[in-house]
Amino acid sequence: MAEQNECYHCGLPNDPKLVFETTILGERRRLCCVGCLAVSEAIVANGLESYYQYRTEKAEQAESPTNDILSQLVVYDEPALQEEFVFDEGNHKHIQLTIEGITCSACAWLIEKQLTKLAGIKQVAVNVSERRAAISWYPEQISLSNVLLQIRKIGYRAFPFESDSHERSYVSEHKSYLKKLGLAGLLSMQVMMLMTGLYFDLFGNIEAQTKQYFHWVALVLSTPVVFYSGSLFTISAIKALSARTVNMDVPIALAVLATYIAGVRSVLQQQGEVYFESICMFVFLLLLSRYLEHQARYKASKVSSNLMQHIPVTATLVDQNEKISNKLAKLLEVGDCLLVKAGEVIPVDGEVIEGESRVDESMITGEFVAVKKQVNNKVYGGTVNQHGVIKVRVVSTLKNALVSQIIRLQTTALLNKPRIALFADRLSRYFIMAVLAIAGLTYIGWSYAGNDNAFWITIAVLVATCPCALGLATPTAFTCAMAELNRRGILIKRADALEQITTVNLLAFDKTGTITEGKFSIDNAWYGESLLPKQCLSIIRQIERFSEHPIANAFFSEPDEVSGELQDQMAQNIKNVNVAQGQGIGAEVNGKRLFVGSISWFEELTGQLFGEHYSQIDFSPNVLLFNEHEILAAFFVTDTLKSDSVHTVQQLKLFPFLELALLSGDVDAHVKNVAKQLGIPHAIGGVKPQGKLHVVEQWQHSNKKVMMIGDGINDAPVLSQADVSVAVGNASDVAKSSADIVLLREGLQLVPNLFHFSRQVQKTVKQNVAWALGYNLLILPFAVLGFLHPWMAVIGMSLSSLIVTVNSIRLRGVKAQ
Amino acid sequence: MSIIYVLIPLAIIIVGIAIAVFFWAVKSNQFDDLERHGSSILFDDDVNQKDKPDKHE
Repeated sequence: MAEQNECYHCGLPNDPKLVFETTILGERRRLCCVGCLAVSEAIVANGLESYYQYRTEKAEQAESPTNDILSQLVVYDEPALQEEFVFDEGNHKHIQLTIEGITCSACAWLIEKQLTKLAGIKQVAVNVSERRAAISWYPEQISLSNVLLQIRKIGYRAFPFESDSHERSYVSEHKSYLKKLGLAGLLSMQVMMLMTGLYFDLFGNIEAQTKQYFHWVALVLSTPVVFYSGSLFTISAIKALSARTVNMDVPIALAVLATYIAGVRSVLQQQGEVYFESICMFVFLLLLSRYLEHQARYKASKVSSNLMQHIPVTATLVDQNEKISNKLAKLLEVGDCLLVKAGEVIPVDGEVIEGESRVDESMITGEFVAVKKQVNNKVYGGTVNQHGVIKVRVVSTLKNALVSQIIRLQTTALLNKPRIALFADRLSRYFIMAVLAIAGLTYIGWSYAGNDNAFWITIAVLVATCPCALGLATPTAFTCAMAELNRRGILIKRADALEQITTVNLLAFDKTGTITEGKFSIDNAWYGESLLPKQCLSIIRQIERFSEHPIANAFFSEPDEVSGELQDQMAQNIKNVNVAQGQGIGAEVNGKRLFVGSISWFEELTGQLFGEHYSQIDFSPNVLLFNEHEILAAFFVTDTLKSDSVHTVQQLKLFPFLELALLSGDVDAHVKNVAKQLGIPHAIGGVKPQGKLHVVEQWQHSNKKVMMIGDGINDAPVLSQADVSVAVGNASDVAKSSADIVLLREGLQLVPNLFHFSRQVQKTVKQNVAWALGYNLLILPFAVLGFLHPWMAVIGMSLSSLIVTVNSIRLRGVKAQ
Repeated sequence: MSIIYVLIPLAIIIVGIAIAVFFWAVKSNQFDDLERHGSSILFDDDVNQKDKPDKHE
């Protein structure tokens, strides 16, 4: 197959140099990496090829397969861990998994097919919109780790998770909404049918007996609508009244109950008018709008709940007799002694008691320069041990670890956040009081004037002025906007965030991980003929172990590639290390002198000119591995700006109302440098999580509305403090859970979009409110003067709501800028 | 016209059944994922076609 520039599995560009091919759907297909190759081969081998035929979205790029996946997953079989999220249901067990990588319904089909083939699986149900799966299995036939492994094999990552408390309350609420809505809908249809029959009675052709019979049936049918479906409004109204305040439900409940009671009286006395169909329609339409609003919030809560994954951290415990065992991090106690190998995550806060290493604390400080740790230094849970083996004594349990403290800091900041919604609440309260007062005056006025219809006129006033469309104006616009943004890859977790974006006048970025890739990595590599690439990398790692330079980290980013055996063998043979400041590092490896350093150092030591002898290297490297005679390997190592950062920042600078700032935990000079590259005027470096929080607080005191974009755990508190917070696609889970908005795709190009769109939404909301208020005010005099029958008021109200909803739906078609 | 005295109660009973079924469906989580099942029929059809030639081999 010629012309395959994109990976068939995940759609990412293929590397022209590395060829991975397999046969899918009868054709040779090129894939981008080992991971995608393994996954697509597994899919084909299991006879699930038609996934490729029917999927509507490309898959996510698969991870490269490593042998120790199973050993990582085995911890999920631990009973102590399982008791938190596995439910025993007699002879089988049940679990909820959140699955990363589901892009369309073909994925769900793929996962279900893959799992149902296994012996011991009782039931699998994959939910696409929630990105979750519910699985029941027989523990004696298959282990949980094996189930997870099977999912991993076809390219998805599954984690047990715990739904957060928000979501749990939403689930039951959601169901009760659905039931009430369904009941109201079905019964309204029946009542309408009967009443439409009676509308033809204009000429009095229907017998009084039949009419009475119809009224009775309508009464029976609308009773559940009023008392079950309508209970939502009644209960809420009673709650509000008992708290000595009013809400939107008070006039609604009043109108519904009064009309119903009057209807019952009419039926019993066999005279007067009945408006059962109006009540049913009224309740149904109101419920529909509430339901839609609720559903939007429910969706958002489900996604944020997925972030609460159970990733158990295990620790290697060393007892007094130097015996090694595994233990779950949450069971660790103060004083336990742990062994942490290179590349492992330090499970809890502790103190080094043996060994020396460098630790990547970027998750806490945001800096990617590893921190040197010696005996008596403190290490923090969640940070990554990069180099040597260290022994750590636990000083605090997992619950009290620093990471947990940061999360707590974030929760408090979240609670202190002012909410716009409060203001809207107060406004509608005045509106409703006015409505109730007008209705009361209307009744008194007409009764005084001796009009028999005073009661029905009052009901018409209540229904006509029902701020239904007004109530719908904002939520429908936000719901449509959220759905549209979701489609574009932006998840809004809090609806009023959209409203707040329009007031933002200061946009602060975190640097590492948000604007830049966040770590030094090997961008480009060239290997000479005398050594295998693996050997080169292994040698460099051995030498760079002695280096303090952050660039060294680039070579430790993939620790799995070289076997530990080879490393140990090398480690013994390194002698005479010397560091040339700003140039590189040299050492004797297996008796041979080798150097890792810059081009200028190479030219200085060997007397050769790089440009003359190495024209075959088609990029300009900044790290070389060489001996006295030749270059063995060349690398280009960088902490690059994300590919779209420059473009995004330029676009954002076009907004006249917006100031930009860079706020980072990284070294000040570094931060200033990046800010200069991008043309961001304010840059503040070297601030800890607490510090960032203070900076943002200060901005807020000087009347700035701050939007913060970040990614790390260290950003979580500041994200909660900012008026609007955005977590980028590669952000840590904690950052995602504290942000108002999560970008589902990597990169920042969606941010300007967000500003454009939020203004569009604001415009729609204004139109909606203007229409709804306009209609209510226009209709009010007619209702008060008695020109309006209750059924006309209901139709008018419904039409008004419909117009508002349709106007909101237009948002879904807005083109991306 | 007296037929309506039979038909309307009958209609009410049927609506009652419909409501009971609806409540049961809500209770057993059938409204949880509305996106997915619309297309699942496509997949299963195809699998059967695919499986058949496999069995001949």
